[in-house]
Amino acid sequence: MADYTRRLPVYLLLDCSGSMMGEPIEAVRQGVKALLSELKGDPQALETAYLSVITFDSSARQVMPLTELMQFQEPQVNAGGATALGGALNVLMECVEREVRQCTETQKGDWRPLVFLLTDGSPTDVETFGKASRAIREMKAANIVACAAGAKADTACLKQITDNVLMMNTLSAGDLARFFAWVSGSIRMSSKGMDAKPGGPVQLPPPPDGFVVVP
Amino acid sequence: MPVTVEAVLSDGRKLPYVIQDNPPRGGMKYTYFAPDKSYVVQFFNNPMIAADPDTHKRLEAIIGKYNPTRPESEGGAPGNSPAMAAYFADRFCWPVATVQSPEFGIVCPAYPENFFFTEEASVVLPLKGRDKRSKWFTSMRNRQYLEPDEVGDFRAMLELSMSLARSVRRMHQAGLAHSDLSCNNVLIDPRSGRCVVIDIDSLVVPGLFPPEVVGTHGYIAPEVLETLDLPADSPDRKSPCAYTDLHALAVLLYEYLLMRHPLEGPKIYSANSPEEDDYLAFGPRATFIEDPRDTSNRPPDLPLTIHDMGPYLEDLFLRAFVDGLHCPERRPAAMEWEKGLIKTWDLLHPCENPDCAAKWFVLHDVKHPVCPFCGTPVKRENIVRLHLKSPVRGRRGQWVPAGEVDVFHKMPLFRWHIQANTFPDEKTDASMQAYIYRQGGQWLLVNQRIHGMTTPGGAVVPAGKAVWLQDGTLFRVSGGEGGYLVKVSCGR
Repeated sequence: MADYTRRLPVYLLLDCSGSMMGEPIEAVRQGVKALLSELKGDPQALETAYLSVITFDSSARQVMPLTELMQFQEPQVNAGGATALGGALNVLMECVEREVRQCTETQKGDWRPLVFLLTDGSPTDVETFGKASRAIREMKAANIVACAAGAKADTACLKQITDNVLMMNTLSAGDLARFFAWVSGSIRMSSKGMDAKPGGPVQLPPPPDGFVVVP
Repeated sequence: MPVTVEAVLSDGRKLPYVIQDNPPRGGMKYTYFAPDKSYVVQFFNNPMIAADPDTHKRLEAIIGKYNPTRPESEGGAPGNSPAMAAYFADRFCWPVATVQSPEFGIVCPAYPENFFFTEEASVVLPLKGRDKRSKWFTSMRNRQYLEPDEVGDFRAMLELSMSLARSVRRMHQAGLAHSDLSCNNVLIDPRSGRCVVIDIDSLVVPGLFPPEVVGTHGYIAPEVLETLDLPADSPDRKSPCAYTDLHALAVLLYEYLLMRHPLEGPKIYSANSPEEDDYLAFGPRATFIEDPRDTSNRPPDLPLTIHDMGPYLEDLFLRAFVDGLHCPERRPAAMEWEKGLIKTWDLLHPCENPDCAAKWFVLHDVKHPVCPFCGTPVKRENIVRLHLKSPVRGRRGQWVPAGEVDVFHKMPLFRWHIQANTFPDEKTDASMQAYIYRQGGQWLLVNQRIHGMTTPGGAVVPAGKAVWLQDGTLFRVSGGEGGYLVKVSCGR
């Protein structure tokens, strides 16, 4: 029998610019690994969640297409270069367009995708970013949560993309681990109790200690 | 670093628990464990709920006079004997005390060991120590990652279905409603055929303010979802109650037995958005995938249907998901599920295919005796059925049908198979009374401890002796007032 469970697409947009080099990028690798292991231990996440990773430095690319958890291979992530956040948003829009099943008269659509964006800087492709952030706002195609990591991250820019902006004070391994734990909690929560009512805001667990919600 | 601190209970006792980072968190509460993991201490996510005197009153009632896991003599539910309390203590993870300090919370026993996965449960997934939520077993996609031992067989799923129906019946009997029965609040162990109902703290208690719970996606009754947007004090708003439990119970039983959700089918309810489609599919326009009249949500390739579950369950599922889906009063009561599951249990037949994963099936159609899981037919000589007949009170020599039992080699028979008005529940003697034995192609019913069993000719069959079961054999299986008369049919 066909599977009629609705899929929950999840995109991770990870900043791999030069400033992430060293401990932070290693913490990101460990974070993705822990996230995957945590989600594989949750039967509802395993049934519904599909995961993709988009990385950005001087340019942006999808390093792992939208894949069910059991088939997901941890991507190679390396730090170096600038912060093509605008490019990353364009890649995201293109991937969502291509990979996320739309609701039609004949097709059961996927859930609205959940996007977690992690950056420690500000976009270096300013013009592209300006256009892309406006386009993504207008599309309303995804529930985006942006996390500004460390003192140099530009929260004002992130606010142009989404209303849901978190800030963590440091780029320490501990804070990054807490971020990924929170992301997995959010995905688990979404895979269980998708808001049954149309149009409601996305419900996420309270952010970890030391993180602030940017008003 | 984990730190051990003390919780002060409402009776003044002190219990240690271990504070850890990122404690497990559910929709309502977060959990800390005892140093030896034998109990948990839970606090509420929302301080308003923790501070609310209505929450305190409700929990005191749940722990005290509504508690089926505590004997009446120790402050538990009225009429609850120590044996009945012990019976339900294995089937509920019922709160045992409230915590007053450091803040308001509850203490619950830890789940029994068998509801946690061991290392051996899966070679491909990190499951060790995780609790056995039912979606591991009822999702075809998830099942494939578990070891064959872990997923159990059809008989085990039927057994734990009975256990759940009984537990819900016990709550409803006391006037309680669980209000959030779901795949996350009932843990199942198909290895042992057991289940345990957890998260008992959001029960609806008669005469007290109900908790603010809506339920879990997929298990919320359609009428609750449909009226969710109405103001909290609107008379039209439907809140969780026993009727909504009966929807969730039916969904769970359907999932346990058929490994799919009764409302998730191919039908597209809205092309506007997934949220709207989902809301209609589980709310105002919910359609059973096996609705015999409205086939708009029916998958084209159903491998197994409610018809394969036998007449009792087919009828109950139709009442739950056709008649009662949008009409709560017409949903079968938990007691009816319990009885229907027991009658179905008596029709279980072992599959003759040694490789059949289900191992057992409901032999409801003796004219076409085929295992619905693997398609293997049953040999005629293996079909032996006892037709139970109950004496009519005050009318000597008159009998009415009281059920059918499909028998197999080494099958035990219990009091409810030999005696009218006995029902396998928490009060009944569950010791084996007799058993079926197959010897060289002949079927025997061997008496263990029944008084008054006689042969078709009327001779007494003492314990240790047997009656030969042949087509048409008619005999008293038990003496005394309600002892059944049994008519045997073989191969037909």
